This record gives sequence, C-alpha cells and structure tokens, in this order.
Amino acid sequence: MIEVHGLSKTYRVPLKEEGLTGSLRSLFSRRTRDIHAVADVSFTIHQGERVGFLGPNGAGKTTTLKMLSGLLHPTAGQVSVLGFRPQDRNPDYLRRITLVMGQKQQLMWDLPPQETFELNRAMYDLDRKDWRQTLDELVAMLKIEELLDKPSRNLSLGERMKCELAAALLHRPQVLFLDEPTIGLDVEMQAQVRSFIADVNERFGATVILTSHYMQDITALTPRLLVIDQGRLRYDGPRDELAHRIAPERRVTVRGSQPALLPLGLTEAHGRMVATVPTDRVNSLLGEVLDHLPTADLGVEEIPLDEVMGRYFRGEEGS
Amino acid sequence: MVAYRAEMVVWILTATMPLVMLALWNAAAAQGPLAGFGQAEFARYFTATLVVRQLTGTWLVWELSNMVRTGSLSPQLLRPLHPLSLNLAETLAALPFRLVVLTPIVAALLVWRPDIAFLPAPSTLLLTALSTVLAFLLSWLVQGLFGMLAFWLDQSVGLFSVWFAIYALLGGYFLPLPLLPPMVRDAARWLPFQATLAAPVEILLGTNGDPLEALAVQLGWVLVAGALAAWMWRAGLRRYGAVGA
Repeated sequence: MIEVHGLSKTYRVPLKEEGLTGSLRSLFSRRTRDIHAVADVSFTIHQGERVGFLGPNGAGKTTTLKMLSGLLHPTAGQVSVLGFRPQDRNPDYLRRITLVMGQKQQLMWDLPPQETFELNRAMYDLDRKDWRQTLDELVAMLKIEELLDKPSRNLSLGERMKCELAAALLHRPQVLFLDEPTIGLDVEMQAQVRSFIADVNERFGATVILTSHYMQDITALTPRLLVIDQGRLRYDGPRDELAHRIAPERRVTVRGSQPALLPLGLTEAHGRMVATVPTDRVNSLLGEVLDHLPTADLGVEEIPLDEVMGRYFRGEEGS
Repeated sequence: MVAYRAEMVVWILTATMPLVMLALWNAAAAQGPLAGFGQAEFARYFTATLVVRQLTGTWLVWELSNMVRTGSLSPQLLRPLHPLSLNLAETLAALPFRLVVLTPIVAALLVWRPDIAFLPAPSTLLLTALSTVLAFLLSWLVQGLFGMLAFWLDQSVGLFSVWFAIYALLGGYFLPLPLLPPMVRDAARWLPFQATLAAPVEILLGTNGDPLEALAVQLGWVLVAGALAAWMWRAGLRRYGAVGA
C-alpha cells in the first residue's frame, strides 16, 4: 500500500556571509551547505494500519510526511502510495488522501466552515447525498454542529482544528497523513481528537500515519512506531516491543507517604512511594512491601512512553 | 462577512488610478490638444482604461508569492484542483462585484462629460471582448510568472514592480501610446505591456489602425507566457520547500 525505498531529502541552504563584502561576494559565488533532512529511509505500511512517526524536533518526520503526501519532491529514492507516485499529485491520488498540518489549512478565514465544506464538495466532485451523509457523520463525531455557520476566525483553536479535520475527511480519504493533529489543544480536546481518529480508522478502514510530540497520541493511537532521528530510520516495529527493549523495568507504587518502606528502596514522589525495578524483581518486591505494610495500596506500572523515548534518544539502550 | 466585503471594496478602489491620470491629463490638455488628444479624448481614453483595468485585474503575484513564502500553498497543492485554476475561478467569480463598483463610476464620468459617450459597432465590441480576454489572460500569466519567482527568490514582488513601472509607461496606463516618441511607440506595439491594457482600449475606441494585428500580438504573448508559466510551475514545485506548519 505504502512502499518507501531509499527515500532521501537533501536541502541545499545558502550560507550567508557577514557584512556588506560578504553579501556582495555571495552574489557571485554562493557557498552552500547540504542538510540531509531524510536519509535513506525504507519501510512498508499496509492498508488500515495506524503508524506513528516519532523523533525529536528536526528529525525528519514532517519532511517524510510531506514527501509521502506529494508536497515535496524526494532528492532520491522511490515512494509509492496506493500505486501512485505522490509527487505527481495525480488528482486521482489527491482524492484518496488527506494531509492535516496545523489549524490554518483549508478553512477560509472570513467564511463559516460550512462554506469550506461546500467548496470541498465541489472540488472533490462528491455526490451530494454521500457528501451530506459523511458531513452529518463527521459533525456528530466531532460535535461541531453549532460551529458550522460561525466565521472561522471567530472559532477557538480547538474548534478550528475540529473543523479542519472534518474538511480534511469529507472526501473519505483512504490514507490520512496527520502532522501533530493535537498540538495546542487542551487535554480534553486532545482526547476527543484522538478517539475521533481511532473511530475514522475503524469505521472507514483508513490508514493513519501521524507524527506527534504528545506520547499520549502515540500510546493511544499507533501500535506501530517508526522512530526517525537525524533523518534516519532508527526503529520500525511494535510500540510495546520498543518500550520493553528500552525500559524493561516496572514501576512499583504504593499510595500515600509511607516512611516504613524507605529501607526497601522506595522513594517518595508526588504523594506516593515509588521504586523502579527489573521485571523479575517485581513479585519479590511486592511481597516485601506487603510484609512491611499489609494494608498497602499497591500498583505496578510500565515506564511511560515519553520517558522511554527520552532514554532512547539519549542513547540509553535497555539491559 | 462584512469585513470580507469591505476589504474587496478597498482593493477595487485602489485600482482606480486611471481617474487620477485623467485629472492630470485633463489639466494638461486645458490649453489645447496634445498629439491629437484633447480633453474629451483623454476622458474617453481613461474611462476605457478604467473599465479594462477593472475587468482584467488580478492579484496573483501577491497571492502566489505570499503562498510560496509562507507555505500556505501546501494545502492547495493537496486538493484535486490546480491552485492556479482555483485562483482563476476566484478572479472570475469577483467579476460581477467589480461591475457593480464600476457602473456608478462610469455613470458619474458620463454625467461629467456627456460628449465621451459613443456607441461602438457590434464588430468593435466583439473584437474588444476578445482583446480584453487576452489582456486578462496575459496579465494573469505575467503576474503568475513573477509570483512563481518566489520559489527561487525572496523578492519576487519587488521584481514585479520593475515590470509595472515599464508597463505604466509603455502599456498605456499613465499616458496614451500616441503621446510617446514615435520610435518608442512603434517598438511598444510589439511588447507585452500594451497587450495587457492599451490593445483592448484602442480597439474599443477605434484608434487602433489594425485590430487584428493587435490581437495576434496579444495571442502570441499569451502563448509565450503560458508555456513559460507551465515550465516554471513544474520547476518551482521541485524546489518548493513547503515551509511552515
């Protein structure tokens, strides 16, 4: 479905020399530097998968997404999505995909979202009945009924994002490229958008590829991870497997401040006692805690994904 | 919605420069005709200029260079309609509104100088219509070309103002072409500047000795600009950085 082979994108940026003489000299001989935003990346994604692109700022996630959608021409390598070469931007291809990037994409600033939805119906040449049905469905899922006839500039960030998502999905794309779909939204709105994306994936069978800084997005949405760092693909596989490899420990917690447990190696943090131990130590530690404190309110947690990724990017592989 | 409309009115009013030029030349011709242009001829010429400018106006150079520099071209590139087709449709959709603004201004000019009114022959109207369509296509394409320079340069709009300065002199915008020195005037006939304005104006007023030649020159420039635009668009998109969110 999505086949990527040896994909690379190199930007040639001019080096600005200082001062007037430098500016004059650069008119004649421009010194440039190559920046390898994406270097030799290969992967395959199947229909209906949900995949997360993860990596630090400037790692090449968004550049990859832009090449997959057809916005950027690759410097080298082959991309095939749904059998199309994305950068040809064949209208038949564009009718089958969508890219959501930020909140100022499709909505016409001075007009209500309804007008954008109408424009998209014409632009994508959608059957009015199908369009109406999809729109009703999206409006209900996103709860944006009251926003439809307000000018877009009067909408809040979260409201605009939801309307952008509706506009981006009206033509029922088979592939969704989502760049930071929850950025800038409050926790409640983030959760709504997340469950909406999962819904679209399940109901329409759409393939979802997303980048995000919020690990909750990744944890909730994408069982498969592609970790990109400095333009290179560092990991491609199940999210849980990476977590187990990087952070094989478990976190044992006890509710409340319990000084009695200090000798067992638990420390107090945020009103609870915590110890991070290897998986095979969990059971014995739980036993010891109960010996000391039979009424303890116990919990065992995995290491949160953002901590896992922090370790990964610092180069701390698990034992 | 009101703010949206108000912005359009401001845009359209700034395009009424021919009225300013009319006032200047009207004063200059007070002592007698200049190169055959008396006050009535100037009034007729700049009224026609105003009409043609309104019907052929476009802001593509600003819109396109802005979209390229800020990356707001990106969402348009991912819809199944060509961004330039969208712009063309938007420009045509604004035409009725432009006519609404134009009508009272032309009516006021006719009240001021009833002697400028005339009834063109149907064949003249047909040729004028053709010439106006070509003038619109050419100025739209030229603005598109300068706008596309933004794929390579930061200052594409600045370059367009160089074009505009030449156009103002050789295109019939600041002064009717017959007022130019004969050598310049003869050269200007073959240049693209007059093809975007003076050509339809002179055909309408019947002051162009060879309307068909004027149309042919216009068509030639439209084809050249169109081919160049198609090539530049493809080359530009290969360079496009899709910056911004």
